[in-house]
Amino acid sequence: MKATEAVRTAGVTALVARAVGRAPVLLLGGLVVLLFLLSLGIGPVRLSPDVVATALFGGGSEEQRIIVQEIRLPRAVLAVAVGGVLGLSGAALQGLLRNPLAAPELFGAPQAAALGAVLVIATGLADVLSFALPLAAIVAAFVSVFVLLVIAGRNAGLLLLILAGLALSSLAGAGTALTMNLAPNPFAALEISFWLLGSLEDRSIRHVAMALPFILAGGAILLSQRHAFRALSLGEETAESLGVDVSRLRLAVILGVALGVGGSVAVSGTIGFIGLVGPHLARPLVGWDPARLLVPSALVGAALLTAADIAVRLLPSTNSVRVGVLTALIGVPFFLYLIVRERRALSGGVG
Amino acid sequence: MGGLQRRSIARRMIRRLGVAALLLVATAVHAADAPKRIASLNLCTDQLLLAVADPEQIIGLSPYARDSGMSWAAAEAARHPALSGGAEDVMMLRPDLVVAGRFERRATRELLARRGLAVADFDIARSIDEAKAQLARMGALVGHPERASAHIAAIDAALLRARNAGSRSGLRVLAVSRRGWVPGIDSLMSALLAAAGLSNAAGELGIATGGFASLEAIVAARPDLVLVASAAESAEDQGQAFLLHPALTRLYPPQRRIVIPEALTICGGPMVAAALDRLAAALEGIGP
Repeated sequence: MKATEAVRTAGVTALVARAVGRAPVLLLGGLVVLLFLLSLGIGPVRLSPDVVATALFGGGSEEQRIIVQEIRLPRAVLAVAVGGVLGLSGAALQGLLRNPLAAPELFGAPQAAALGAVLVIATGLADVLSFALPLAAIVAAFVSVFVLLVIAGRNAGLLLLILAGLALSSLAGAGTALTMNLAPNPFAALEISFWLLGSLEDRSIRHVAMALPFILAGGAILLSQRHAFRALSLGEETAESLGVDVSRLRLAVILGVALGVGGSVAVSGTIGFIGLVGPHLARPLVGWDPARLLVPSALVGAALLTAADIAVRLLPSTNSVRVGVLTALIGVPFFLYLIVRERRALSGGVG
Repeated sequence: MGGLQRRSIARRMIRRLGVAALLLVATAVHAADAPKRIASLNLCTDQLLLAVADPEQIIGLSPYARDSGMSWAAAEAARHPALSGGAEDVMMLRPDLVVAGRFERRATRELLARRGLAVADFDIARSIDEAKAQLARMGALVGHPERASAHIAAIDAALLRARNAGSRSGLRVLAVSRRGWVPGIDSLMSALLAAAGLSNAAGELGIATGGFASLEAIVAARPDLVLVASAAESAEDQGQAFLLHPALTRLYPPQRRIVIPEALTICGGPMVAAALDRLAAALEGIGP
């Protein structure tokens, strides 16, 4: 009797522990759902929550259905998907490099992806709604992250990674602007601001169809490596002794980040700092286990971008503010704070 | 059809002769002392100039004059030198007259005026009457008022044709271009629509002098027709992708879209006649 009771107690304790462990994920998930619904409810045309709800499920007038289903829904879906995969990419890169200042945007991945996309458009190989666009963005993002990790070497110091990333992203940003300026498009300035600062305005279901498969594939690849990150946190040698193929892991992470970031950038432009901020906000909730950090980071990223995209719509301005402007306004001070915190490691010099 | 056309051509000729005679008497500049070297800094003055001046009088046009997407006279413009649009090359050319837009390149125009060059500024034409007045002014400036009168007569004839075609009056039309840019009520586009008996739905969106309309606002206002610059099915940039958004393509399939190239509607000038004819022809094709 006693033994079965003990087993039962142990089982309950385990269940409770698992529930407590999952609480942050549930909480963050709830937040994302809330923001998603809010995003459906907000726009230039005022619709009450019950009108939005009926329109979402096929009721209401044709105009209301079109506004909710075809204008607001794709935008909200993309904000969650793009924010999610950026947060996930940041957490995965931080896990791979065991480095809290790793993030796709600091490595120039989105900027390179934008350059890839713009090059395909400028050469006339594709229009902005074709699948060639995300493919080009993915290839460019892959190349940029790969090159960065090759430049930085195996046990790269923080400073080296950040400097190399800065150089790559500046180069890619300049390349994007130059490509657009050389293209015979009189509206180049506006288009450049889209690719460099990002926007989710007026995205349609076609954009969702273009980006979502790649984002999901990238996300799945990154999530599948979560146990390897845990082993890796003990050091590369230990991880290899535990059966982790570090070079394969490296390739898988680069591929996952490229798919996620490339797919995102092709439809939303360069949206910065979500990948950096997401994991850092999630870490206090789940502790330092890099495997358990992935999903919460993705959720924080999704919540951040959705919130930023809502804020952009609420700002009183005649010419819509780019969502990347807002994420940078939040992200850069945060980045500076992180640098101050990591000052000791950074002042160690290039290593 | 043919009879109607012949009759309108005859009417146009009569009007043209009448206006020409009138302007010839009133004009200040005679062809002999008209400026011989004229440079233009603006897409719209380029086209006014090409319409009325002798080719030898034109020594340079703005960079956009050759862009067939924006310039109605792109083919003719290709025969003339293209300027940078800045002050340097204009100064080196030492023109007798510089024609420019009043609302752009202010620093350039002031610089040229300080250097002693004659600069004639042209406003943005916001109505068909203003477009005709600009043609007349350019004609007088270059010493060929008779050519301006001919263009004005052509516009008047097209106005008459558009009015006759505009039997489906009162339809609400919204002209939408890239990223949702909508010309306001106080614009040449509005005047063109009104000439064909149509109303500009920009007023319902509260857009007076032009501005961006959100996709949602367009869907909510739901004008009867939209007017776009091209029927292209692909978008070469994000701004054009706006016009291919399913929300718009659903409500406005090709038979609810009027297509008039931008080159016909950006500027007020000789192309107004062609714009009116395009509009009238497009309305013929629109179902009830």
